[in-house]
Amino acid sequence: MKELTEVLEDWEAVIGLEVHAELTTLKTKMFCSCPIEFGADPNTHTCPVCLGMPGALPVPNKAAIESIVLAGLATNCDIEKHTMFYRKGYFYPDMAKNFQTTQGPLAFCMRGHLDLELSAKGAAERVDIPKGEDGGYTTRIGITRIHMEEDAGKMTHLGGSEGRIDGAERSLVDYNRAGTPLIELVTEPDLRTPEEARAFMQKLRQIYLTLGISDCSMEEGSLRADGNVSLRRRGSTELGTKTELKNINSFKNLHDGLAYEICRQAEVLESGGVIRQETRHWEPGAKRTIVMRVKETADDYRMFPDPDLAPFDLTDEFIENVRAKLPELPDVKKARFMETYGLPAYDAGELAGDVEVAEFFEEAAQDTDAAVAKKIANLIINDVSAWANENATSISASQITPAALAKLAKLLADDTISSKQGKEVLAALIGEGIDPEEYVKSHGMEQTTDTGAIEAIVEELMAANPDKVEAYRGGKTGLQGFFMGQVMKQLGGQGNPKVISAIVTEKLEG
Amino acid sequence: MTLTEKDVRDIAEYARIGLTDEELSTMTVDLNNIIETLRPITEYELEGVEPTFHPIGSLSNVMREDEVGESFEREVALSNSDSTSEGCFEIPSILGEGGDR
Amino acid sequence: MNEYSQLGVRQIHEGLRAGNFSARELAASAFDAIDRLDSQVHAFLELTPELAYEQADAVDAAIAAGEPLGILAGVPIAFKDNMNLEGTHTTCASRMLETYVSPFTATCVAKALDAGSICLGKTNMDEFAFGSSTETSFFGKTHNPWDLDRVPGGSSGGSAAAVAAGMATLSLGSDTGGSIRQPGSFTGTVALKPSYGVVSRYGVVAFGSSLDQVGPFARSVEDAAFALNAISGRDPLDCTSQPRDIDYTANLDAGINGMRIGVVPSLLELDGLTNEVKHAFEQSVAKLEGLGAEIVEVELPNAAAAISAYYVLGPCEAFSNLSRFDSVRYGHHAHGKNLEQRYEDSRAQGFGPEAKRRIMLGAWLLASGVYDEYYIPAQKVRTLITADYTKAFEKVDAIVLPTSPRTAFKFGEVSDPASMYLSDIYTISINIAGNGGMNLPVALGEDSGLPIGLQIVGPQFKDENILRVGAALETLIDIPRVAPLEKGGRS
Repeated sequence: MKELTEVLEDWEAVIGLEVHAELTTLKTKMFCSCPIEFGADPNTHTCPVCLGMPGALPVPNKAAIESIVLAGLATNCDIEKHTMFYRKGYFYPDMAKNFQTTQGPLAFCMRGHLDLELSAKGAAERVDIPKGEDGGYTTRIGITRIHMEEDAGKMTHLGGSEGRIDGAERSLVDYNRAGTPLIELVTEPDLRTPEEARAFMQKLRQIYLTLGISDCSMEEGSLRADGNVSLRRRGSTELGTKTELKNINSFKNLHDGLAYEICRQAEVLESGGVIRQETRHWEPGAKRTIVMRVKETADDYRMFPDPDLAPFDLTDEFIENVRAKLPELPDVKKARFMETYGLPAYDAGELAGDVEVAEFFEEAAQDTDAAVAKKIANLIINDVSAWANENATSISASQITPAALAKLAKLLADDTISSKQGKEVLAALIGEGIDPEEYVKSHGMEQTTDTGAIEAIVEELMAANPDKVEAYRGGKTGLQGFFMGQVMKQLGGQGNPKVISAIVTEKLEG
Repeated sequence: MTLTEKDVRDIAEYARIGLTDEELSTMTVDLNNIIETLRPITEYELEGVEPTFHPIGSLSNVMREDEVGESFEREVALSNSDSTSEGCFEIPSILGEGGDR
Repeated sequence: MNEYSQLGVRQIHEGLRAGNFSARELAASAFDAIDRLDSQVHAFLELTPELAYEQADAVDAAIAAGEPLGILAGVPIAFKDNMNLEGTHTTCASRMLETYVSPFTATCVAKALDAGSICLGKTNMDEFAFGSSTETSFFGKTHNPWDLDRVPGGSSGGSAAAVAAGMATLSLGSDTGGSIRQPGSFTGTVALKPSYGVVSRYGVVAFGSSLDQVGPFARSVEDAAFALNAISGRDPLDCTSQPRDIDYTANLDAGINGMRIGVVPSLLELDGLTNEVKHAFEQSVAKLEGLGAEIVEVELPNAAAAISAYYVLGPCEAFSNLSRFDSVRYGHHAHGKNLEQRYEDSRAQGFGPEAKRRIMLGAWLLASGVYDEYYIPAQKVRTLITADYTKAFEKVDAIVLPTSPRTAFKFGEVSDPASMYLSDIYTISINIAGNGGMNLPVALGEDSGLPIGLQIVGPQFKDENILRVGAALETLIDIPRVAPLEKGGRS
């Protein structure tokens, strides 16, 4: 198969996403008052409603409606005041009523968009648009709708291989998850590369986390995506036949699955084949997609308005009350970080994307200047994040306090310690929660910036090596490094390189 | 509109109701008789009439607060099933994937 | 003991307070009547004597302690078997739910029992309420106490027969297209379907969710009003229940002098309306006029359209509501080799023919393409019918109609599903619009000797109008409140 970038020279990929997010931060389910809790004993969070007992009736959770309106406002959607719930019928044992309560043609949120900023790295896949000075580009992705629905229960397949449904002898059904509020966002087919799809998902996740409406855990399935992709020849405006990748549970899988699927489709099309409309499953281990189900005809879900649920006619007051709860969104925060702290766009974006990190940064960076703020940003983005990722934890779970990180940043900014020493201090900070200033003192780390002492050493060295001084002055300026190294050696490595360099040059120049 | 036995077989499959061949032909006759009595609904002049899905007057926006209530004890949840295992409802093997999910 | 079970609510209340009898004696008398009569009538599917005596003893203890006594305290009541009551079977008269034991209680049942009434048991019905005769029950037919060779009507036939035969003082039924009012008419009982949303549907096994409504059977209008007071009101568990707090007994004695009562001349010219029913209707209208009401002609031009709308909407909702019976969590369970086979076999064995027909019809009607041709027009017809009633009720305070075009028919007499459907012609449009309607027994047929009912319809959410008209007219009606339980009809 050809490489993705090669394929994308000839073909344009048309990608749409459907992103499901469970509203895990709510206390109770969508239509009943059972608690939402991941990992509880099977069937202990069930009641007549979420077990679909005969006679039970649904009552919508107000906080869930508020959450979806919040999601809509944060993604530039129109809030549709007059909507209804519908029943979507299909028989499957994880769906207690054998219909899913969802929304019909009109969802609570319609016609939104998100603007994506692709960095130079992510922009490489996009061959057809001009890039900015930094090598990146910006693109707007339309959002068709965000609708409210309920999640299904969980099934465990036994007797087959690795819990797969194929070959299983029997299955167990746990309805704890059944009825968990779920919002499904559907994009327009505006995405053109796997990187854009990844960037969209990452941005959406940042927004949902900022709103506090979901824990967005892709591992636990509280955030999951389906991707539709089709190809067309560059220059064509017709849509090709699409395939769908189901239940993708990581950003990498989203990217790699789509990339594979684009390359696979190109190969089929280029060899004169046709793409079948089908649902495919990405196997990250084998690095391929396999067919789950061929769709010969459109599914008929027998949708109709749910007579058990009163229609919605959201008032301006309701919507404005939700709007008042809208926190500062990542894009706005990013702009503010650039403005207030003088951070470059990349740093500001990285920090603003995570509520906890952004808060931590702001606390550390208060009352500091731009140089220190930049050091704080570097420490968080490079070192602390790497540590948190490696240890699958977060900044708040470490020993680091914002004040301590600010102290460390200041020591680095005014060259009291080198960046190499900075890493050692940070390790101590993470592990033991030391005070950086005291640690630097007690470990003799302070760099010698005593110009008098350095001058004395330089003069001594020049006197001991007149031939080298002569050679330097004769044009062998590379000998500056020799003097620097000797000074540093005499200072036991604790000298400030910038200060030493300046003094050596000054003295040698005479 | 007249349903063939094939149509009725498809509906039965969708509705998950097993029908013998004999039941199928009786059902086909019965359904066609009923559908014939429903014909008037397709013939009314309804241009510009909005549907009424909920006969509940002005009632709208009915919601509950996000407060935890009582759930079943697990034994109660499972009590009406004679096929349970490991705290779950147990079902035999499934042939197909469910719906478009 | 017999006389106790034939008492009205007020008589029971006064008798208990006076110490003439105890609640335990009332319960014993009711079970005694059931012992003697129900082998012939078969109104009950399950009896709950333990629960009844426990409740009766609680009432007696309250009396002994001098605590205030609610009006329904000690009143023997029965519930249609589509109403969940924790610890009892709720079968919907279907093999599908033969072994199902309710793990929770319907709001209407809880409210009735909280008011102190004594639960006798659960009553027979058409399977899943699909029918007008109670003949489709998996557990056998219920017989009309007025003529054991005849049907009690349906689908709430058991609840109607239990009250008509004097076994229960009150019962609850559910009405989707006439399932309270028509059996009320066939058994000579006061049978009230309140406006949609007046009584919570929570815990009542759904047939047509936008049509179903719970209401009482009683032997007097006042008893029906007492029952409605107890079971009505906003329920946080039912989104469609109405926030209304009304004392339905408040104007029962107010008379109807000056009230405007509508009649619909075009609906009295229908094929199938028997002479005796038409005659009884005309006599009732004359009596209303005699009581001072102003009789006003109104039109319901889309009433005929209601029938086809009903037979579209009912099956669509039923299909969806009955999808949950898949044998996984509860219900009849066949041993299929795989899940698909188990679904098909469980549902094939668990549902009777009428249930299957309605499920199949609904599955077809909701299919893509068909939906736009039938379902959407049916909901538009609902808009027209609602507008018809709204317009009519600008001119009148209540409308009277026959409840059923004829009196109770013999078993098997009406077997063609399509013509069975037509027997609901006077009741269906009221469910479509969501208004309330009540059957009041007004005569014994001059030809059949069987009860004939008058249906009183009110503006939506003004069910007190219905009760007021009924209470006034009731004073001029002189037919037995308890059926004679004769076999072979009257001579």
